[in-house]
Amino acid sequence: MLREVIKREFRRYIARPVYLMGLVVIPIALALFFIAILDEGLPLQAPVGIVDLDHTPMSRRLTRNLGASELLQISDKQYNSYNEALDGVKRGEIMGFFVIPEHFERDAEAQTGTNLAFYCNLTYYVPGSLVYKAFKTMAVTSAGEVVTTSLVGKGLSPELSRVALMPLVLDIRPVGNPWISYAYYLGPSFIIGSVGLMALLMSVFVFMSEIKEGTSRSWLDAAGNHIATAIFGKLIPLTLVLTVVAVFVHSLMFHYCGYPMNGNEWNMLLGLLLFIIACESLGVVLASIIPSPRFALSLASLIGILTFSIAAFSFPVEAMYGSIGIFSYILPVRYYFLIYIDQALNGIDLYFSRWWYVGLLCFPIAATLVAPLMRRWSRHPVYVP
Amino acid sequence: MKRLFRSIYDWFVSVARVIRRQFHLTFTDLGVMIFFLFLPLVYPLIYSLIYNPEVTRDMPVVVVDDCRTAMSREFVRQCDATEAISIIGYAANMSEARECLNEHRSYAILEIPKDYEQHLGRGEQGVVHFYCDMSLLFRYRTFLMSLTTLQVDECSRLRQIAFNTIGIPDNRAPSSIQPQAFMLGDTQQGFASFIIPGIVVLVLQQAMLLGISMLSGWSNERRRKYGFDPFQIRCSASATVLGKGLAFTVIFFPLAIFTLHFVPEIFHYPHIGDPLQYLALILPMLMATSFLGISIEGIMRERETCFIAIVFTSVIFLFLSGLTWPRYAMNPIFVILGNFIPATWAVEGFVQINSTGAGLNEVSAQYLWLWGLVVFYMLTAVVVTRYRDNRRLVPASV
Repeated sequence: MLREVIKREFRRYIARPVYLMGLVVIPIALALFFIAILDEGLPLQAPVGIVDLDHTPMSRRLTRNLGASELLQISDKQYNSYNEALDGVKRGEIMGFFVIPEHFERDAEAQTGTNLAFYCNLTYYVPGSLVYKAFKTMAVTSAGEVVTTSLVGKGLSPELSRVALMPLVLDIRPVGNPWISYAYYLGPSFIIGSVGLMALLMSVFVFMSEIKEGTSRSWLDAAGNHIATAIFGKLIPLTLVLTVVAVFVHSLMFHYCGYPMNGNEWNMLLGLLLFIIACESLGVVLASIIPSPRFALSLASLIGILTFSIAAFSFPVEAMYGSIGIFSYILPVRYYFLIYIDQALNGIDLYFSRWWYVGLLCFPIAATLVAPLMRRWSRHPVYVP
Repeated sequence: MKRLFRSIYDWFVSVARVIRRQFHLTFTDLGVMIFFLFLPLVYPLIYSLIYNPEVTRDMPVVVVDDCRTAMSREFVRQCDATEAISIIGYAANMSEARECLNEHRSYAILEIPKDYEQHLGRGEQGVVHFYCDMSLLFRYRTFLMSLTTLQVDECSRLRQIAFNTIGIPDNRAPSSIQPQAFMLGDTQQGFASFIIPGIVVLVLQQAMLLGISMLSGWSNERRRKYGFDPFQIRCSASATVLGKGLAFTVIFFPLAIFTLHFVPEIFHYPHIGDPLQYLALILPMLMATSFLGISIEGIMRERETCFIAIVFTSVIFLFLSGLTWPRYAMNPIFVILGNFIPATWAVEGFVQINSTGAGLNEVSAQYLWLWGLVVFYMLTAVVVTRYRDNRRLVPASV
């Protein structure tokens, strides 16, 4: 009987292109898209401007030093004043600018005090932050250079004056991602998150299409009027296809692109399988309690799209309002993300991630509780447009 | 001559009839109304509530102090006082601290080596290690910002101590160049202030595409059933496309005012642009999006197809718009692809106007691109509509 339903399901897959698109083409296309767009790891060469009001050898050296930074790309356009540069920012030509004031060289060498002001356009967070980092480094080291020169002039040895310049070094070590690669950080959560989004939508869709086409009776008949068989008959082909797709995407990320895998890969694969099942279970829950294709799919889309924000891949849960942050834990991808951090990025023992796996297991349990509700609508399908 | 005027008049009449029909179809369809009203009205609020805390503060950090001197304790206190760090306690050694990190009780380890004070006392460089968990770059960035400031301050303090001992007086201490950092646009460096202005534009586009796709899916179902869509006004393709496009634009314009003007006001995001300028910018975006929606009508086989075909594009368009990943660092293929998405230009233009106070003259490139897309998608929509009108389907079954 189960075999009947599975066969029927595969026939449905072949009959309409939407299944091939939703289950295979779109998830893989999304994965390839993210892999390609995050290819560089870190966005280098942010366009910036220099406002050189000094025009001295020292200011030109500063400009050259800034240009040597891999993070920056100095615009060819000449900005002659603060206002011109600000206009450049407004037009989006540059992400920030560095102002070398008038009489900079004179004041620096005479030590009468001068400043180096830099402006970063933080409306684009990532490039803005990188520009800030590059500018800040340059401003501090240029200041240091002048100080060293003057200290040596006062009779300190060059070694001692360098120490005097920076007596304390804070050595910050980004564990697991020393390249500070955005790909390693955003990639897996967005790529697997997209697979999960499609898994959620399609698992709602496979049930709802029975209502839509008015075929739910024949579906139930094929399963011998046994709702559990009917549901499993639908979920087994779905899981099969999605798992193959997910494992392919997984191998693309961790083997072809070399995303970090510092722990046991089987733990990750287990997490991935549980994640797919959890997404489907969430779909089953929605399909069971909302027997309306449009409404159930709307809700699935709502959840699926909010996932990318609320599952906290970029903004931490602990900083969100408590009443909002709690919702991140009803989303399967949150647990996959935590498993990825623990098992692949940090490579710690499975023990520390146990609760994330438990979290994923809660979804099929919840689905089991509400799935019997499907019996009601599958006997008397009513399509509400 | 008279006939010419007559046909022009007829054309306008049919545009008006299409608009009226489209209003009717839209406002009587609950599913579409949810997309058209719920999405633009509620989504920006939900996103704002998620990101509204803007920053993350006082992240738990565990200390491994092998030095155990007054100086190292002083440094730990200084760390605790920064915005980013909250010291949750001391671990006996690194493996205990690792355990703490693994159990997700802290996000970083501060390690002060045994010879910390010795080095500083001898006039050598003291080194402190900070191991940062990299699960979120946002946390790393916050740590980095706080620690950089701390380092600069500590260095000048320690330097002064050193200078005092060798006899260089306070006022002669050479620190003649002052670096000054200014943040433009998002002056508080908040996350919501950065992402929401872009997101709201994207929400408008996606809501529009979803609603239009649902309507066209519904129409396609009717076409398959009857061989033609009985609700379609029989007129030229250009009148159909223009009428539909105008109807959607008119419906969305008030919603655009809400999302672009009131949402930033309600949540106090950067909002220094001139409403007339950004509303002028959004008009071509709405038109281009409607025509884009009409151009892809054929894909929507049924009402529910839009969920499979449109929803996932939101993440793609988010990235293509350059909001999270800058466009200058993108592969040229994606830049070209992004050029054809109305939201790409609208996000860029709106963010520049809204957050950095640009005028339409400064975002003229984006503005012209949007009008270019209006023309382009109007032509594709007309071509597609004409092709589909000429193709009468055989009714499925009677």
